[in-house]
Amino acid sequence: MTEIKIEMKSISKIFETDDVETHALKDVDIVIRAGEYVSIAGPSGCGKSTLLSLLGLLDMSSSGSYSIEGVDVSALSLDDAAAIRNEKIGFVFQSFNLIDELSVFDNVALPLQYKKELPTDEFIKERVETCLKMVEMSHRADHKPNQLSGGQQQRIAIARALVADPAILLVDEPTGNLDSQSGDTVMAVLAELNKNGTTICMVTHDARYADMANIQLRLLDGQIVKDEPLMVAV
Amino acid sequence: MRKLILRHNQAWASLKKKPGFILTVLLTMGITLGALLCVVTLNYLLLVEPLPYPEQDRLFVAEHKLIGPEKETKAIAFTYPGLVHLYKSKEAFEKASIMAYSQDVIVSHPSQPLVNTAYVTPELHQILASPMAMGRMFEASEAMDTNNPVAMLSYNTWKKEFSGSADILEQKINLSGISYRIIGVLAENFVEAELDGIGRETQVWMPWDYNQTGERGRQSFGNISGTLNFLGQLKEGVSQSQAQQLLSPLVSDRWQEGVIEMDFFKGWSVVMLVTPVKEVMLGDSESIAVMLLAGVMGLVLIACANISNLFMARTAEKQRQMAIQAAIGATKKHLFQAMLAETGLLMFMSIILALVLAQIGFFVMQEHFEQILPRVNELSFNPITFGSAVLVTVVFALFFAKLSTWMVDYRSLNTTLQSSGKGSGLQVSKKVRQVLIASQVALATVLVFANFSLLKDAVKTINAPIGFTTTNISTLVLNFASTDFPTQEERLPIMAEIKEKLEALPQVESISQSPSPLDGWGVRALTDVVSKERYTPFLNGVSHTYFGMIKQPLVQGDNFTLVDRQDRNNVMIVNQSFAKQLKADGDVIGMKISVGGPDPFKIIGIVKDIAIPNATPTGSDNADAGVPRVYTPNGLGSQRFMVKVKPGMSVSREQLGKLLSDVDSRYSVYSFDAADDILTKSLFVEITTAVTTAVLASLVFLLAGIGLYGILSYGTQLRRFELGARMAIGATRKHLVSMIISDNTKAVLIGFVGSVVLFALAYIGLSEYIQPFLNWQVLPMIVATIVLIMLVTLFACYWPLRQYINKPAIFSLRGSD
Ligand SMILES: Nc1ncnc2c1ncn2[C@@H]1O[C@H](COP(=O)(O)OP(=O)(O)O)[C@@H](O)[C@H]1O
Ligand SMILES: [Mg+2]
Repeated sequence: MTEIKIEMKSISKIFETDDVETHALKDVDIVIRAGEYVSIAGPSGCGKSTLLSLLGLLDMSSSGSYSIEGVDVSALSLDDAAAIRNEKIGFVFQSFNLIDELSVFDNVALPLQYKKELPTDEFIKERVETCLKMVEMSHRADHKPNQLSGGQQQRIAIARALVADPAILLVDEPTGNLDSQSGDTVMAVLAELNKNGTTICMVTHDARYADMANIQLRLLDGQIVKDEPLMVAV
Repeated sequence: MRKLILRHNQAWASLKKKPGFILTVLLTMGITLGALLCVVTLNYLLLVEPLPYPEQDRLFVAEHKLIGPEKETKAIAFTYPGLVHLYKSKEAFEKASIMAYSQDVIVSHPSQPLVNTAYVTPELHQILASPMAMGRMFEASEAMDTNNPVAMLSYNTWKKEFSGSADILEQKINLSGISYRIIGVLAENFVEAELDGIGRETQVWMPWDYNQTGERGRQSFGNISGTLNFLGQLKEGVSQSQAQQLLSPLVSDRWQEGVIEMDFFKGWSVVMLVTPVKEVMLGDSESIAVMLLAGVMGLVLIACANISNLFMARTAEKQRQMAIQAAIGATKKHLFQAMLAETGLLMFMSIILALVLAQIGFFVMQEHFEQILPRVNELSFNPITFGSAVLVTVVFALFFAKLSTWMVDYRSLNTTLQSSGKGSGLQVSKKVRQVLIASQVALATVLVFANFSLLKDAVKTINAPIGFTTTNISTLVLNFASTDFPTQEERLPIMAEIKEKLEALPQVESISQSPSPLDGWGVRALTDVVSKERYTPFLNGVSHTYFGMIKQPLVQGDNFTLVDRQDRNNVMIVNQSFAKQLKADGDVIGMKISVGGPDPFKIIGIVKDIAIPNATPTGSDNADAGVPRVYTPNGLGSQRFMVKVKPGMSVSREQLGKLLSDVDSRYSVYSFDAADDILTKSLFVEITTAVTTAVLASLVFLLAGIGLYGILSYGTQLRRFELGARMAIGATRKHLVSMIISDNTKAVLIGFVGSVVLFALAYIGLSEYIQPFLNWQVLPMIVATIVLIMLVTLFACYWPLRQYINKPAIFSLRGSD
């Protein structure tokens, strides 16, 4: 049996705003193993982003347990969560979230800068170049993000997510802000990465792209409705 | 016109949604512009506005300057006969008046108040064209040597002491046993030419003949008095220097004749100083006014920077709305006009507040700065105030509107719409923000430092040890209200009885028949009998219990005894400063000093120096030099007492008045003041300076704090998504705090450098003022200033950040999708 990367057990998330309680997630169980490509689909407002932010430790669940590579991460302090994010998780956002003032190279290198032990300059250079190569953006290392197209920016964001060699890549609607051609390129990059062994969990409501994953989950009103492996991971 | 109203209605509707913004602008601009209007009006009044006297360009004050054998200035003060001689000579001046200032008790008044008095010749009020509320001013019937006992009251005295009584002109008042018929009350808008100190208002005016100089003093060319003054209107065509040249020999020759028999004045001479009356009245208040103006300008600049931040932040916020307006056809000019409607409205409200605050400021200055600044009583709104108000409103409204629209790149407004208002759009560029931070820091550093320096000097004087105790001690000075003065012989039993009765009061711990160290000093000309060297120390006649009561230590020799006082022995105690002057090693016990009479005084003791605030040796204004002082035993007929009450107890003026009149009905209380109060009064300028600078420093600090906070928190707000992204990829709180701090450090450092540049510029322009401040003592000030500014900056870095970094990362990221 392949290694379990991520395991969520009966995770719930309740938002309380102005006396209104929203049950964004109800008793969600998820297991993601090494090398899997999981997609989460569902209508708008069903809880996809919420689930992804819990997976990425950007937010804390209301109840339930969560472990990454066997380590319990259900109740971490803000700084411990930051350390885990840095080490184990690569996040790709719908809106890229690159930092305008930094060059492409510096954007990609940023996660390494937040490591507990700062890697050497050579290591950083080498690692950033490798990652840029993986997304085919080596030639734009010195540009500023706003000099690039949306698709290119998203590929930089993917490179940044990969740079610290995370346990899993979490991707939230990566094509939401892109035209279909750029979207296709980005999806191709992700597929290629997965082929080379990167574990990916992606949120999308585009059925075409969901099909590219080997495990497809459907979320409806905060609950998983279908969990059917189409293919057994290699 | 309808368009204009419409625009303003829209502006108001849009502003109304931001009460916090309105309030900040209103308070910041209202307070600083209020201060500006206040100080501008003051500066105009002091520097430009003519005095309310006719022919004021020809009004001059003549002063009598005594010059020692080494051409050094000995004193600037008239001798009585010298002044009268000058007055009678009618040289150089078309009209001239002489005045003697004093204080006296109105004994006929039920509460026997001590009032400021002036004995003047009738020309004074003619020259000043003094407006009268009632009755008449002095005329030829009150000229010199007419001995006509009449008096005029100031408007305030009439109102306060005589409750504005309508039949005041039928009343008489008694001062020092002389009954004066009141012939006039000066008008409320009369502006006194205050020559005897800023803020000293004459309450009762009497003819020159009744001035309190004794018969001997009226003849003596060897006595000078600071209370004698001369004011006149120069003859047409006579210049200031011509007058000086004309008068100097006239006065000097007569003086030399008068002192021919006094060895002490050998080699001395006199010159006349003729100074415009305005200059004398203003003293060095011009520099205070200019400094206030500079300080307030600094405040306005800081406030301006703050408000610029706010307007830029607001524009950034409104970009979408502007884009929509542009899309439906608004031109650049339209956008500017809309912005101008907003800034104009805000500035209009601010200036209204500023005018109200300026009025309050006038009132506060009149209440508290009367002793420091001349002419504050004349402070009121004038065309200059309103003119500056209008100018400031227009300039700032245009400036802020221009600034706001300048930020907007009109052509790129469309892209703003297309990019759906996401994170990066129209923002205040990082560079502009850094410039703002740097200028805030630079201004704040300069102002805080300047205020600190002033504050330090004031506090130093306030806290300087005085070298004697004032606790529970009050000074009682008796008033004698009759013209038939008792002889020294007759006085002895009266004073003995008064002293006994005072000691018997249950509240009283002890009595010393002595003036207080805070008053009674006179400058005396002394000669060392052996070396014939001449000195002018301060002298006071004191009782044998004086040093004990005020706890001034005797460091060598003996104290006076009761016998010394009874027998009027020629013995003397000197302080250490005078001992040093007499002899380098200070060992002066046994030395013989002549005070002018036939028998010299023998020095029997040396006491420690005392430091009365602001006292300087005669002929010097070095505040750090020790003041030479000499003490002789006073007679038992002395009419001054120090009263030490038991802790927590007090004696009233009324009680003392009753005690005195029981002993002898001719005696009443002249003054009865706690030594602490006198001390506080003498520190008035320092205390006011300390309070003013402390308030200014805090205000600067507050404004700079608000400004830095505003710009830094706006900067942080702009970086919200960036912060979120950084958190998502693993930045801890420490990473982010240190990132924000180091990002802003550069601007802060540039600000510090900028403040050094500002100082350098100020130094080039004002080196004479700044030079004295330049010593190693400013180092702690510099450190304190920098630390304070850095603390504010750190706070302003951290505080806006905490709302993002102390929550899960998703909070900062939300809304970015
Ligand atoms: N911070 C929040 N406060 C309150 N409700 C929230 C918050 N975030 C998300 N929700 C609610 O949770 C539900 C799921 O939201 P989300 O995960 O963003 O949906 P999706 O990404 O699938 O469109 C929605 O009903 C949304 O309104
Ligand atoms: Mg979503």
